Amino acid sequence: MARNVLYPLYQLGGPQLRVFRTNFFIQLVRPGRAQPEDTVQFRIPMQMTRLDLRNYLQSIYGVPVAAVRTRVQHGSNRKRDHRHVRVKKPDFKVAYVQLAHGQTFTFPDLFPEKPPDTEGSADSDLQDYLLEQEQQRQISDPRRGGVPSWFSL
Amino acid sequence: MAASRWAALCQGVSVALKASRALVTPQSHTRSGCRLAGDVFSETTPSSSPLHQSRFLHSTLARKGLEEFFDDPKNWGQENVKSGASWTCQQLRNKSNEDLHKLWYVLLKERNMLLTLEQEAKRQSLPMPSPERLEKVVDSMDALDKVVQEREDALRLLQTGQKYGRPGAWRRDLFGRIIWHKFKQWPLPWHLNKRYCRKRFFAMPYVDRFLRLRLEKYTRSQARKTSLMKKKEKSLQERFPRLSRAQNSSTA
Repeated sequence: MARNVLYPLYQLGGPQLRVFRTNFFIQLVRPGRAQPEDTVQFRIPMQMTRLDLRNYLQSIYGVPVAAVRTRVQHGSNRKRDHRHVRVKKPDFKVAYVQLAHGQTFTFPDLFPEKPPDTEGSADSDLQDYLLEQEQQRQISDPRRGGVPSWFSL
Repeated sequence: MAASRWAALCQGVSVALKASRALVTPQSHTRSGCRLAGDVFSETTPSSSPLHQSRFLHSTLARKGLEEFFDDPKNWGQENVKSGASWTCQQLRNKSNEDLHKLWYVLLKERNMLLTLEQEAKRQSLPMPSPERLEKVVDSMDALDKVVQEREDALRLLQTGQKYGRPGAWRRDLFGRIIWHKFKQWPLPWHLNKRYCRKRFFAMPYVDRFLRLRLEKYTRSQARKTSLMKKKEKSLQERFPRLSRAQNSSTA
Protein backbone atom coordinates (compact mmCIF):
# COMPACT_ATOMS: atom_id res chain seq x y z
CA MET A 1 0.00 0.00 0.00
CA ALA A 2 2.34 2.77 1.20
CA ARG A 3 5.32 3.32 3.49
CA ASN A 4 5.35 5.82 6.36
CA VAL A 5 1.55 6.12 6.28
CA LEU A 6 -0.86 5.39 9.11
CA TYR A 7 -3.27 2.68 7.93
CA PRO A 8 -6.80 3.44 9.19
CA LEU A 9 -8.38 1.00 11.64
CA TYR A 10 -10.53 -1.68 10.03
CA GLN A 11 -13.73 -2.94 11.64
CA LEU A 12 -16.25 -5.43 10.28
CA GLY A 13 -18.37 -3.85 7.55
CA GLY A 14 -15.91 -1.00 7.01
CA PRO A 15 -14.78 0.22 3.58
CA GLN A 16 -11.95 -1.42 1.65
CA LEU A 17 -8.69 0.47 2.16
CA ARG A 18 -7.57 2.03 -1.11
CA VAL A 19 -4.21 3.78 -1.42
CA PHE A 20 -3.68 5.92 -4.52
CA ARG A 21 -0.07 6.66 -5.46
CA THR A 22 1.69 3.84 -3.68
CA ASN A 23 4.98 4.55 -1.94
CA PHE A 24 6.56 1.11 -2.47
CA PHE A 25 9.63 0.80 -4.72
CA ILE A 26 10.97 -2.65 -5.57
CA GLN A 27 14.09 -3.89 -7.32
CA LEU A 28 14.61 -7.00 -9.37
CA VAL A 29 17.88 -8.62 -8.26
CA ARG A 30 20.06 -11.35 -9.68
CA PRO A 31 19.70 -14.40 -7.39
CA GLY A 32 22.80 -15.33 -5.40
CA ARG A 33 21.93 -19.02 -5.52
CA ALA A 34 20.52 -20.82 -8.54
CA GLN A 35 16.73 -20.51 -8.57
CA PRO A 36 14.13 -22.45 -10.62
CA GLU A 37 13.41 -20.98 -14.02
CA ASP A 38 10.02 -19.54 -13.13
CA THR A 39 11.28 -17.77 -9.98
CA VAL A 40 12.06 -14.05 -9.96
CA GLN A 41 13.84 -12.48 -6.97
CA PHE A 42 12.93 -9.00 -5.69
CA ARG A 43 14.06 -6.72 -2.89
CA ILE A 44 11.00 -5.04 -1.42
CA PRO A 45 10.42 -2.63 1.46
CA MET A 46 10.00 -4.17 4.91
CA GLN A 47 6.41 -2.95 5.21
CA MET A 48 5.27 -4.79 2.07
CA THR A 49 3.50 -8.14 2.32
CA ARG A 50 3.28 -10.93 -0.22
CA LEU A 51 -0.33 -9.96 -1.02
CA ASP A 52 0.82 -6.38 -1.60
CA LEU A 53 3.56 -7.59 -3.94
CA ARG A 54 1.15 -9.79 -5.87
CA ASN A 55 -1.31 -6.93 -6.38
CA TYR A 56 1.58 -4.57 -7.22
CA LEU A 57 2.97 -6.81 -9.95
CA GLN A 58 -0.41 -7.75 -11.37
CA SER A 59 -1.92 -4.28 -11.52
CA ILE A 60 1.11 -2.09 -12.29
CA TYR A 61 3.25 -4.45 -14.39
CA GLY A 62 0.66 -6.95 -15.63
CA VAL A 63 2.79 -9.91 -14.55
CA PRO A 64 0.76 -13.03 -13.68
CA VAL A 65 1.93 -14.27 -10.27
CA ALA A 66 1.36 -17.81 -9.05
CA ALA A 67 3.07 -17.71 -5.65
CA VAL A 68 5.12 -15.32 -3.50
CA ARG A 69 7.41 -16.22 -0.61
CA THR A 70 9.19 -13.61 1.49
CA ARG A 71 11.99 -13.48 4.04
CA VAL A 72 13.75 -10.70 5.93
CA GLN A 73 17.46 -10.26 5.34
CA HIS A 74 19.38 -8.87 8.32
CA GLY A 75 21.82 -6.09 7.34
CA SER A 76 25.17 -6.47 9.09
CA ASN A 77 25.90 -4.41 12.20
CA ARG A 78 29.38 -5.82 12.64
CA LYS A 79 31.55 -3.25 10.86
CA ARG A 80 32.89 -0.36 12.87
CA ASP A 81 34.08 3.03 11.72
CA HIS A 82 37.19 5.01 12.83
CA ARG A 83 35.45 5.86 16.13
CA HIS A 84 34.78 2.18 16.90
CA VAL A 85 31.04 2.93 16.49
CA ARG A 86 29.04 0.19 14.80
CA VAL A 87 27.86 0.89 11.25
CA LYS A 88 24.52 -0.70 10.36
CA LYS A 89 23.64 -1.78 6.85
CA PRO A 90 19.86 -1.54 6.42
CA ASP A 91 17.67 -4.63 6.63
CA PHE A 92 15.55 -5.51 3.63
CA LYS A 93 12.90 -8.03 2.64
CA VAL A 94 13.52 -10.51 -0.19
CA ALA A 95 10.61 -11.92 -2.18
CA TYR A 96 10.70 -14.97 -4.43
CA VAL A 97 7.92 -14.71 -7.02
CA GLN A 98 6.85 -17.70 -9.10
CA LEU A 99 5.30 -16.75 -12.42
CA ALA A 100 2.06 -18.29 -13.61
CA HIS A 101 1.17 -19.85 -16.97
CA GLY A 102 4.52 -21.60 -17.30
CA GLN A 103 6.48 -18.41 -17.97
CA THR A 104 10.19 -18.42 -17.29
CA PHE A 105 12.68 -15.64 -16.57
CA THR A 106 16.46 -15.37 -16.62
CA PHE A 107 18.22 -12.29 -15.31
CA PRO A 108 19.77 -10.56 -18.35
CA ASP A 109 23.34 -9.30 -18.65
CA LEU A 110 22.99 -5.55 -18.23
CA PHE A 111 26.69 -4.77 -18.77
CA PRO A 112 27.74 -6.57 -21.96
CA GLU A 113 31.31 -5.98 -23.12
CA LYS A 114 31.44 -3.72 -26.12
CA PRO A 115 33.80 -4.68 -29.01
CA PRO A 116 36.74 -2.23 -29.37
CA ASP A 117 36.09 -1.71 -33.11
CA THR A 118 33.59 1.03 -32.34
CA GLU A 119 36.53 3.38 -31.42
CA GLY A 120 36.97 6.37 -33.73
CA SER A 121 39.87 6.13 -36.23
CA ALA A 122 41.19 9.62 -35.35
CA ASP A 123 41.58 8.67 -31.68
CA SER A 124 43.45 5.44 -32.47
CA ASP A 125 45.84 7.28 -34.85
CA LEU A 126 46.62 9.84 -32.17
CA GLN A 127 47.25 7.11 -29.61
CA ASP A 128 49.60 5.24 -31.97
CA TYR A 129 51.56 8.46 -32.69
CA LEU A 130 51.95 9.20 -28.97
CA LEU A 131 53.09 5.61 -28.25
CA GLU A 132 55.73 5.88 -30.99
CA GLN A 133 57.00 9.16 -29.55
CA GLU A 134 57.30 7.60 -26.07
CA GLN A 135 59.21 4.61 -27.41
CA GLN A 136 61.65 6.81 -29.33
CA ARG A 137 62.38 8.85 -26.22
CA GLN A 138 63.14 5.78 -24.13
CA ILE A 139 65.48 3.95 -26.60
CA SER A 140 68.99 3.85 -25.12
CA ASP A 141 72.38 3.96 -26.91
CA PRO A 142 72.29 1.22 -29.64
CA ARG A 143 76.10 0.72 -29.25
CA ARG A 144 75.58 -0.76 -25.77
CA GLY A 145 73.81 -3.79 -27.24
CA GLY A 146 70.78 -3.86 -24.96
CA VAL A 147 72.78 -3.73 -21.71
CA PRO A 148 70.97 -1.69 -19.02
CA SER A 149 72.46 1.70 -18.14
CA TRP A 150 72.77 1.15 -14.39
CA PHE A 151 75.94 -0.89 -15.03
CA SER A 152 78.95 1.32 -14.52
CA LEU A 153 80.57 2.93 -17.52
CA MET B 1 7.57 -19.74 -41.75
CA ALA B 2 8.81 -16.21 -41.16
CA ALA B 3 5.77 -14.69 -42.89
CA SER B 4 3.36 -16.76 -40.81
CA ARG B 5 5.21 -15.74 -37.64
CA TRP B 6 5.01 -12.07 -38.63
CA ALA B 7 1.29 -12.46 -39.38
CA ALA B 8 0.73 -14.05 -35.98
CA LEU B 9 2.78 -11.24 -34.41
CA CYS B 10 0.65 -8.54 -36.04
CA GLN B 11 -2.55 -10.26 -34.96
CA GLY B 12 -1.18 -10.59 -31.46
CA VAL B 13 -0.27 -6.90 -31.39
CA SER B 14 -3.77 -5.83 -32.44
CA VAL B 15 -5.36 -8.14 -29.89
CA ALA B 16 -3.06 -6.83 -27.18
CA LEU B 17 -4.05 -3.28 -28.05
CA LYS B 18 -7.72 -4.15 -27.61
CA ALA B 19 -7.15 -6.12 -24.41
CA SER B 20 -7.57 -4.23 -21.19
CA ARG B 21 -4.65 -3.57 -18.89
CA ALA B 22 -5.78 -5.62 -15.92
CA LEU B 23 -6.67 -8.82 -17.78
CA VAL B 24 -4.30 -11.74 -17.60
CA THR B 25 -4.48 -12.92 -21.21
CA PRO B 26 -3.52 -16.48 -22.19
CA GLN B 27 0.04 -17.39 -23.00
CA SER B 28 -0.17 -16.94 -26.76
CA HIS B 29 -1.00 -13.24 -26.38
CA THR B 30 1.61 -12.49 -23.77
CA ARG B 31 4.35 -13.12 -26.30
CA SER B 32 2.96 -10.75 -28.89
CA GLY B 33 4.19 -7.28 -28.04
CA CYS B 34 7.47 -8.01 -26.31
CA ARG B 35 10.74 -9.07 -27.85
CA LEU B 36 14.06 -8.89 -26.08
CA ALA B 37 17.47 -9.06 -27.67
CA GLY B 38 18.73 -11.52 -25.09
CA ASP B 39 15.57 -13.63 -25.12
CA VAL B 40 14.83 -13.17 -21.47
CA PHE B 41 11.44 -14.84 -21.79
CA SER B 42 10.88 -18.30 -23.17
CA GLU B 43 7.73 -20.38 -23.42
CA THR B 44 7.39 -24.00 -22.69
CA THR B 45 6.58 -24.63 -26.41
CA PRO B 46 9.76 -25.41 -28.38
CA SER B 47 8.66 -23.52 -31.49
CA SER B 48 9.71 -20.07 -30.18
CA SER B 49 13.25 -19.15 -31.22
CA PRO B 50 15.21 -16.11 -30.04
CA LEU B 51 15.24 -13.19 -32.45
CA HIS B 52 18.64 -11.54 -32.31
CA GLN B 53 18.96 -7.77 -32.26
CA SER B 54 15.22 -7.21 -32.82
CA ARG B 55 13.72 -3.86 -31.94
CA PHE B 56 11.04 -3.42 -29.32
CA LEU B 57 7.47 -3.27 -30.55
CA HIS B 58 6.18 -0.41 -28.45
CA SER B 59 2.57 -1.48 -28.84
CA THR B 60 1.19 -1.31 -25.32
CA LEU B 61 3.08 -1.02 -22.07
CA ALA B 62 0.65 -3.43 -20.44
CA ARG B 63 2.18 -6.38 -22.28
CA LYS B 64 5.79 -5.77 -21.37
CA GLY B 65 5.73 -7.23 -17.88
CA LEU B 66 9.08 -7.84 -16.26
CA GLU B 67 10.94 -6.12 -19.12
CA GLU B 68 9.91 -2.78 -17.63
CA PHE B 69 12.37 -3.42 -14.82
CA PHE B 70 15.15 -2.97 -17.37
CA ASP B 71 16.14 -0.15 -19.65
CA ASP B 72 16.02 -0.18 -23.45
CA PRO B 73 18.50 -2.90 -24.53
CA LYS B 74 20.34 -0.33 -26.67
CA ASN B 75 21.44 1.37 -23.44
CA TRP B 76 22.91 -1.75 -21.85
CA GLY B 77 26.69 -1.38 -21.55
CA GLN B 78 26.64 2.35 -22.36
CA GLU B 79 28.56 4.68 -20.08
CA ASN B 80 26.18 7.64 -20.33
CA VAL B 81 22.46 7.70 -20.97
CA LYS B 82 20.84 11.02 -21.84
CA SER B 83 17.93 12.17 -19.75
CA GLY B 84 15.91 15.35 -19.40
CA ALA B 85 15.39 17.61 -16.38
CA SER B 86 13.18 16.72 -13.42
CA TRP B 87 9.61 17.97 -13.15
CA THR B 88 9.27 21.26 -11.23
CA CYS B 89 6.42 22.07 -8.86
CA GLN B 90 5.04 24.78 -11.14
CA GLN B 91 4.94 22.48 -14.16
CA LEU B 92 3.07 19.87 -12.14
CA ARG B 93 0.55 22.39 -10.83
CA ASN B 94 -0.65 22.91 -14.39
CA LYS B 95 -1.61 19.23 -14.76
CA SER B 96 -4.95 17.63 -13.94
CA ASN B 97 -5.38 15.00 -11.23
CA GLU B 98 -5.69 12.16 -13.72
CA ASP B 99 -2.46 13.26 -15.43
CA LEU B 100 -0.65 13.44 -12.10
CA HIS B 101 -1.91 9.96 -11.17
CA LYS B 102 -0.62 8.52 -14.45
CA LEU B 103 2.68 10.40 -14.12
CA TRP B 104 3.17 9.02 -10.62
CA TYR B 105 3.10 5.47 -11.96
CA VAL B 106 5.32 6.30 -14.92
CA LEU B 107 7.87 7.77 -12.50
CA LEU B 108 7.44 4.78 -10.17
CA LYS B 109 8.30 2.32 -12.94
CA GLU B 110 11.29 4.43 -13.98
CA ARG B 111 12.49 4.54 -10.39
CA ASN B 112 12.15 0.76 -10.03
CA MET B 113 14.14 0.32 -13.24
CA LEU B 114 16.93 2.62 -12.02
CA LEU B 115 17.05 0.94 -8.61
CA THR B 116 17.35 -2.45 -10.35
CA LEU B 117 20.20 -1.10 -12.48
CA GLU B 118 21.94 0.39 -9.44
CA GLN B 119 21.78 -2.90 -7.55
CA GLU B 120 23.07 -4.86 -10.55
CA ALA B 121 25.94 -2.38 -11.00
CA LYS B 122 26.91 -2.83 -7.33
CA ARG B 123 26.72 -6.59 -7.78
CA GLN B 124 29.01 -6.53 -10.83
CA SER B 125 31.31 -3.89 -9.24
CA LEU B 126 30.81 -1.58 -12.21
CA PRO B 127 29.76 2.09 -12.31
CA MET B 128 26.08 2.72 -12.92
CA PRO B 129 25.50 4.66 -16.15
CA SER B 130 24.17 8.18 -15.40
CA PRO B 131 23.21 7.90 -11.72
CA GLU B 132 21.80 11.43 -11.80
CA ARG B 133 18.66 10.00 -13.43
CA LEU B 134 17.64 8.49 -10.10
CA GLU B 135 18.01 11.82 -8.29
CA LYS B 136 15.90 13.53 -10.96
CA VAL B 137 13.15 10.93 -10.66
CA VAL B 138 13.17 11.19 -6.85
CA ASP B 139 12.93 14.99 -7.04
CA SER B 140 10.06 14.74 -9.53
CA MET B 141 8.16 12.33 -7.28
CA ASP B 142 8.67 14.55 -4.23
CA ALA B 143 7.42 17.57 -6.17
CA LEU B 144 4.37 15.61 -7.34
CA ASP B 145 3.62 14.52 -3.78
CA LYS B 146 3.94 18.11 -2.58
CA VAL B 147 1.54 19.38 -5.27
CA VAL B 148 -1.03 16.68 -4.49
CA GLN B 149 -0.76 17.43 -0.76
CA GLU B 150 -1.35 21.12 -1.47
CA ARG B 151 -4.49 20.29 -3.45
CA GLU B 152 -5.77 17.94 -0.74
CA ASP B 153 -5.14 20.52 2.01
CA ALA B 154 -6.94 23.24 0.03
CA LEU B 155 -9.91 20.94 -0.61
CA ARG B 156 -10.13 19.88 3.03
CA LEU B 157 -9.95 23.49 4.24
CA LEU B 158 -12.71 24.53 1.85
CA GLN B 159 -15.00 21.58 2.56
CA THR B 160 -14.54 21.02 6.28
CA GLY B 161 -12.41 23.89 7.61
CA GLN B 162 -9.93 21.41 9.19
CA LYS B 163 -6.25 22.37 8.90
CA TYR B 164 -4.87 18.85 9.41
CA GLY B 165 -6.15 15.55 8.03
CA ARG B 166 -5.39 13.66 11.24
CA PRO B 167 -7.08 15.06 14.37
CA GLY B 168 -4.93 16.17 17.30
CA ALA B 169 -4.70 18.52 20.25
CA TRP B 170 -2.16 20.64 22.16
CA ARG B 171 -1.48 18.84 25.44
CA ARG B 172 1.06 19.00 28.25
CA ASP B 173 3.12 15.82 28.48
CA LEU B 174 4.70 14.16 31.53
CA PHE B 175 7.74 16.48 31.38
CA GLY B 176 5.65 19.65 31.32
CA ARG B 177 6.29 20.37 27.64
CA ILE B 178 3.41 21.48 25.40
CA ILE B 179 3.20 19.01 22.49
CA TRP B 180 0.86 18.39 19.52
CA HIS B 181 -0.61 15.01 20.42
CA LYS B 182 -1.89 13.20 17.29
CA PHE B 183 -4.93 11.02 17.88
CA LYS B 184 -4.92 7.32 17.09
CA GLN B 185 -7.88 5.21 15.98
CA TRP B 186 -9.11 2.76 18.60
CA PRO B 187 -12.05 0.31 18.48
CA LEU B 188 -13.16 1.23 22.00
CA PRO B 189 -13.81 4.47 23.96
CA TRP B 190 -10.89 6.16 25.78
CA HIS B 191 -12.15 5.52 29.31
CA LEU B 192 -12.14 1.73 28.68
CA ASN B 193 -8.72 1.80 26.97
CA LYS B 194 -6.12 0.58 29.49
CA ARG B 195 -3.10 1.47 27.32
CA TYR B 196 -4.36 4.99 26.68
CA CYS B 197 -5.18 5.59 30.34
CA ARG B 198 -1.59 4.71 31.31
CA LYS B 199 -0.42 7.78 29.33
CA ARG B 200 -0.42 10.90 31.47
CA PHE B 201 -1.17 14.29 29.90
CA PHE B 202 -0.39 16.29 33.01
CA ALA B 203 2.76 17.20 34.95
CA MET B 204 3.19 17.01 38.69
CA PRO B 205 4.17 20.18 40.67
CA TYR B 206 7.82 19.06 41.19
CA VAL B 207 8.33 19.43 37.43
CA ASP B 208 7.85 23.24 37.57
CA ARG B 209 11.42 23.77 38.83
CA PHE B 210 12.84 21.92 35.82
CA LEU B 211 10.54 23.83 33.47
CA ARG B 212 12.00 27.06 34.81
CA LEU B 213 15.55 25.75 34.33
CA ARG B 214 14.75 24.80 30.73
CA LEU B 215 13.24 28.23 30.11
CA GLU B 216 16.37 29.89 31.51
CA LYS B 217 18.61 27.74 29.31
CA TYR B 218 16.55 28.65 26.25
CA THR B 219 16.52 32.40 26.95
CA ARG B 220 20.27 32.31 27.67
CA SER B 221 20.99 30.67 24.29
CA GLN B 222 18.71 33.17 22.47
CA ALA B 223 20.43 36.09 24.23
CA ARG B 224 23.83 34.70 23.24
CA LYS B 225 22.77 34.41 19.59
CA THR B 226 21.42 37.99 19.42
CA SER B 227 24.49 39.43 21.13
CA LEU B 228 26.78 37.53 18.73
CA MET B 229 24.88 38.94 15.76
CA LYS B 230 25.12 42.47 17.14
CA LYS B 231 28.87 42.12 17.73
CA LYS B 232 29.41 40.89 14.17
CA GLU B 233 27.37 43.81 12.78
CA LYS B 234 29.41 46.25 14.86
CA SER B 235 32.75 44.80 13.76
CA LEU B 236 31.63 44.91 10.10
CA GLN B 237 30.63 48.56 10.45
CA GLU B 238 34.01 49.43 11.97
CA ARG B 239 35.86 47.67 9.15
CA PHE B 240 33.68 48.93 6.26
CA PRO B 241 32.16 52.29 7.27
CA ARG B 242 31.42 53.33 3.65
CA LEU B 243 29.17 50.32 3.02
CA SER B 244 27.26 50.78 6.29
CA ARG B 245 26.65 54.47 5.40
CA ALA B 246 25.42 53.41 1.95
CA GLN B 247 23.12 50.79 3.50
CA ASN B 248 21.71 53.35 5.98
CA SER B 249 21.11 55.90 3.22
CA SER B 250 19.36 53.31 0.99
CA THR B 251 17.09 52.12 3.82
CA ALA B 252 16.32 55.68 5.01
